[in-house]
Amino acid sequence: MTSLSTPRCFWLVRFAARETAMDPSEVEFLAEKQLVKIIPNFSLDKIYLIGGDLGPFNPGLPVEVPVWLALNLKQRQKCRIIPPDWMDVEKLEEMRELERKEDAFTPVPSPHYMELTKLLLNHASDNIPKADEIRTLVKDIWDTRIAKLRLSADSFISQQEAHAQLDNLTLMEINTVREFLLDSLNCMYKLRSNLQPGSRKGQLTDY
Amino acid sequence: MPCERKPMRYGHSEGHTEVCFDDTGFIVTCGNDGDVRIWEGLDDDDPKFITVGEKAYSLALKKGKLVTASSNNTVQIHTFPDGEPDGILTRFTTNATHVAFNGSGSRVAAGSDFMVKVVEVADSSQQKTLRGHAAPVLSVSFDPRDEFLQASASCDGAVVVWNIEDQTQTVSWPLLQKTNDVSNAKSLCRLAFRPLLAVPVETKVHLYERGSWDHVATLSDDLLTQQINVVAWSPCGRFLAAGSVGGSLTVWDANSKLCVEQKHEKGFTVCSLAWHPSGSQIAYTDTEGCLGLLDGASESKPAKDYDDLFDEDDDGRLMDEGLSDTNSPAKKRGGDEDEDDDFLVPSTGRVRNRGAILDDENSMKFRDDDDAGSTVAPEAAPLAPLHPVYEGPMPSAPQKAFQPGSTPAHLTHRFMMWNSVGIVRGYNDEQDNAVDVEFHDTAVHHAMHLTNSLGHTMADLSQEAVLLACPGTDELASKLQCLHFSSWDTNKEWMVDLPKGEDVKALCLGQGWAAVATSALMLRLFSIGGVQRQLFSLPGPVVCMSGHGEQLLVVYHRTAFDGEQALGVQLLQLSHRKKQLISGEPLPLSPRSYLSWLGFTAETPCYVDSDGVVRMLNRSLGNTWTPVCNTRETCKSKSDHYWVVGVHENPQQLCIPCKGSGYPPTLPRPAVAILPFKLPLCQTATEKGQMEHYWRSVLFHNHYGFLSSSGYEINEDAQNESQKEQQELLMKMFALSCKLDREFRCVELADLMTQNVVTLAIRYASRSRRMALAQRLSEIALEKANQIQEDEPEEPDYSSVRRTSVCGSGKPTSSSGQPRVTNILDNMTSSRKSTPLSRSAGNLSKNPVLKPLAPRSKTKPKTGFQLWLEENRKNIIADNPDVDETDVIKEAMGRFRTLSAEERL
Repeated sequence: MTSLSTPRCFWLVRFAARETAMDPSEVEFLAEKQLVKIIPNFSLDKIYLIGGDLGPFNPGLPVEVPVWLALNLKQRQKCRIIPPDWMDVEKLEEMRELERKEDAFTPVPSPHYMELTKLLLNHASDNIPKADEIRTLVKDIWDTRIAKLRLSADSFISQQEAHAQLDNLTLMEINTVREFLLDSLNCMYKLRSNLQPGSRKGQLTDY
Repeated sequence: MPCERKPMRYGHSEGHTEVCFDDTGFIVTCGNDGDVRIWEGLDDDDPKFITVGEKAYSLALKKGKLVTASSNNTVQIHTFPDGEPDGILTRFTTNATHVAFNGSGSRVAAGSDFMVKVVEVADSSQQKTLRGHAAPVLSVSFDPRDEFLQASASCDGAVVVWNIEDQTQTVSWPLLQKTNDVSNAKSLCRLAFRPLLAVPVETKVHLYERGSWDHVATLSDDLLTQQINVVAWSPCGRFLAAGSVGGSLTVWDANSKLCVEQKHEKGFTVCSLAWHPSGSQIAYTDTEGCLGLLDGASESKPAKDYDDLFDEDDDGRLMDEGLSDTNSPAKKRGGDEDEDDDFLVPSTGRVRNRGAILDDENSMKFRDDDDAGSTVAPEAAPLAPLHPVYEGPMPSAPQKAFQPGSTPAHLTHRFMMWNSVGIVRGYNDEQDNAVDVEFHDTAVHHAMHLTNSLGHTMADLSQEAVLLACPGTDELASKLQCLHFSSWDTNKEWMVDLPKGEDVKALCLGQGWAAVATSALMLRLFSIGGVQRQLFSLPGPVVCMSGHGEQLLVVYHRTAFDGEQALGVQLLQLSHRKKQLISGEPLPLSPRSYLSWLGFTAETPCYVDSDGVVRMLNRSLGNTWTPVCNTRETCKSKSDHYWVVGVHENPQQLCIPCKGSGYPPTLPRPAVAILPFKLPLCQTATEKGQMEHYWRSVLFHNHYGFLSSSGYEINEDAQNESQKEQQELLMKMFALSCKLDREFRCVELADLMTQNVVTLAIRYASRSRRMALAQRLSEIALEKANQIQEDEPEEPDYSSVRRTSVCGSGKPTSSSGQPRVTNILDNMTSSRKSTPLSRSAGNLSKNPVLKPLAPRSKTKPKTGFQLWLEENRKNIIADNPDVDETDVIKEAMGRFRTLSAEERL
């Protein structure tokens, strides 16, 4: 959670000068653009930002704002955050069961479910009923999915497939596995091309 | 015997539940949430409840004593219906699985791990322990004749009849499947012991005769394919109801051994059944915590049975239960009836005898008689009154006075007020009796925690003060307490005692005043500082009140009949020009509903009834009430509700969705949902219906007219915006009618348009080659133009002139409210307009939080005419010395028109 203490412009600069790999905190930054409902305890007219208009804020009335603003306001005790619909023990339990049952990846409630859970639970756990259970459940779902991802990467490499289709992956999940997968493929490529110089090189470039 | 299966409703949280009826026909349930709930009927959204423990496993009710098996391994007694704890009857090593009263209510049997205990209710030290089961006990049931016999079923597969006195087994049948725990048992095997002992075995019910213990019959049905979980005899003893694991309900006629009723609902395991004391209804609950009702189960036939019984077996009755027969009928109702275990409480003395008689040796013969007689046309129910009774409309019970936005007073944790300003919570438990006040806008005031030593039950909250009131007791008078936190002096609180014998029934706060309606049909008006200002009598007992700005809305009772509520409404304006805007007109409610919320939108009174219909005052149509929304339409299930906390003209409505209940709990903190308004116009799904949102817009914005007429500053931007929207909608409707060749309708619509828009409409008409229409439209346009000239004094231009001349210009905005805007986004403050949010209504429409309005004082840029008028006013007045303001303006208008364009500049 560096982003809350760092000005957003810094991040924009960082994005501009980004190197190839993505930092998890950068994914988190993207997740902060997701909208979440808050109940403000102040009143303020509409605010006009480059990214769009926000508000108006009326005390006691729910309003949708990006997560970064919600967390900022929350830290200054200016609002209560209403957790997203899916952040509910029953729904997550269902999702976990489904995720465990299915071989393929099941659709996730939000493209940034992991980041949002972490952000909201770290900063607004008092507004989220059963925060601990939710944390465990989301971690379970995440673990299941990452295990699946590793498994499929493993079979991808061991079966020497040329391509694979992976639906319903979130940015964070792709980002987690990207570096390792690419590196290992590169490594394998090198090993193979050293092992069998010449004849089958063309085929291996498929990787 | 046509039964009607009513839809299930939420009763308890998921898990094992039990149900029984009390003597008066109230449904009493217990469940996994540890509460015993008392429902007046299936539609009761606000059941009373008694908390008996963390979980309640079983309950039995008799003679005002409620016996429950709870999770702390005890069997407790509570008084009923007050719910006072009345001691612990007995303890087990684990939780009791089933409790049952005997017929006279003197003993309770409870089954638990490997043993059954029989305890005297009056003296819990007198216990008999029946040992012999080799596994946990599933269910227990007392002998109807109370001859020290008792049956129990256990997980070891045995159904045993015990002799309580000797604590020995009389007879034992190995009927059931063996399991090792109650939770693993396929069936709960609830026994029913009344005339015959009914034992559910797999998908059949075995009937055993008392005494000889012979297996006399087996009841089964082809459609019944799943394990029977529970059985219960009807109060007359003729019908046997059974509920299965698969959720089906079956009713057998025990005489003919025929299935008379099969009802199936793809549902969850029925885990408890109970007959209504009159035998007309069967209540059942399932393992999902839902409560259901089967109506009209056996109304006519058993009625006849009672009479037959009475005639033929009089002596048997006397012999068996002579003692209780000496009781008055009213007393019988309450009690000594014979019961199969915990289920039934028959409502008549006669019913009880049935069981006794059928136990006689000749019972089978008797049954034959009964059957023969059953071809005779059914007679009247035994409860049919013998004396002539007034059968006209009956007065309906008037609803109690309430505070809009509060939850019922009997709750230990409740909302005393939830309005647009904030939330007042009341806590009343062992540790604490306190009131918490929280403001939506923390800039108004910080949250407050007050100890509630006076026992306040009513509250209201405004931007200026918190008003609390408590009902009077024998010693203490009813008190009114006001925390005037916005006061600028150091004394922020005042208190008033009401005259002895007069109780506060409802209260509300407005801007600068507080109103209290009392049990003496009086309305007392205080200033916010505590000065008594007005006092007047109400035409009837108050239901509730709402205040906003300078308006006070009072709803009171008139005489009501047939379950309807007849309410009257008064709307008073408490400004300097005090007047009554609505004087005691009836308040329209949906059939058989009651008032559930009352309040104001930005300026318009509106209310919600228990059917969820929101109605709003339509000032433009002679103060009629227009339904604008039905909250029930958006509910998912019948027992869900929306608890309204506010209505705003944005247009939207604030509600708290409540699952399975009429009101929300204080914890977890409920989230507010916003419902859109939806006028119940015809064909809203079609394009044409959509267009008629015009009326919605008109309705929601007609308060502007009221505001300007009563001298308030109004937000002209918003007004223009709304006018523009209305005209656009009109134009769309016009185009649609054109397309449909409805020219007459086009003209009707054009009548509603402003002059400019009519010009557009003419252009549209001529372009689509409807010359006749265009011709008519131009007539309308001309008419409108003339009208405008006549009405010019009514135009906003003019009204502001008048205000300027009357009030003088530049009067500063009343500044009693401190600026409530804090810098929310430190780097964004520059971008936002500084809005004085306190009293100015400048941002009313953008800011749906209701704020009282102050008389307008702002001046606006003047038009040429105004400037000219100011210059020439004196001349005009000099010329016409004795005319009033309006005529001056008219005169001025005429003169101004005669001027040439250059002169006007």
